[in-house]
Amino acid sequence: MLTEFQIIARNYELAGRASSNLKKALIMLNVSRKNLKRICSASYEAEINIVIHSVGGFMTYAFYGDYVELNFYDDGPGIVDIDLAMTEGYSTANEVDHMNGFGAGMGLSNIKKSSDMMELKSSPEGTHLRLLFFLEEYDASN
Amino acid sequence: MNLQTIINKYECYVYTPELIVDKKIAYGFCSDLMSDALMIINSVQDDNILSQTILITGLATQQSIRTAEMLDVDVVLLVRGKIPSEKVVRLAYESKIMLISTKQTMFNMSGKLFQDGIIGITYNESC
Repeated sequence: MLTEFQIIARNYELAGRASSNLKKALIMLNVSRKNLKRICSASYEAEINIVIHSVGGFMTYAFYGDYVELNFYDDGPGIVDIDLAMTEGYSTANEVDHMNGFGAGMGLSNIKKSSDMMELKSSPEGTHLRLLFFLEEYDASN
Repeated sequence: MNLQTIINKYECYVYTPELIVDKKIAYGFCSDLMSDALMIINSVQDDNILSQTILITGLATQQSIRTAEMLDVDVVLLVRGKIPSEKVVRLAYESKIMLISTKQTMFNMSGKLFQDGIIGITYNESC
């Protein structure tokens, strides 16, 4: 079942709502705490990225038994240089973002470390981030 | 060290009294930067460590609560007497995060807790 959540640009009050809902859903599905933590951390970072950097978007999540798929879509303005954006410490965030505890340029690298597969496509029309988390493999290896 | 001992010793104000349980606190992490908290605490693989961890921050916004929630850490200590808004307290209740506050600065509070035997969370490179 695919669940969808709207993410509103610059709205820090609602930021994290989608990831919180995802966590509750994964708990109901008896996903291990280790998997929960990495999936929700990645989801939260990605959600915050849309709040900070885009004009708004949405996320979807789906559970396929042995893996979880998250997709984050926004309507632009896109990432000019993905390699640079992936560099730890690089950020175009502003003072308001810093006051909210984010915008240190760690988001994408954190997401990559937390996920098992990450696909990032971006153009001025929007950005699509796709993340996969293989549950059993991670439980077995950690 | 138990949470109630920390609350009494450092004269902490408790914003979520109905959630407070007297649990053991053995580990701590302090930051105003939630990305750091997400990365460092996320690298911890031992659930027992997380269940005994306190997140110390000067960030009195909903993001501190959300970050703790995502990481399965259930105690957030605000420093410098920061007063959270009602929305933040409400979110703490919803997320079952024990929210307390002290007038101590972040450095002093962390140093004192360290002296009390609370160990800092470190980044697990293998993750």
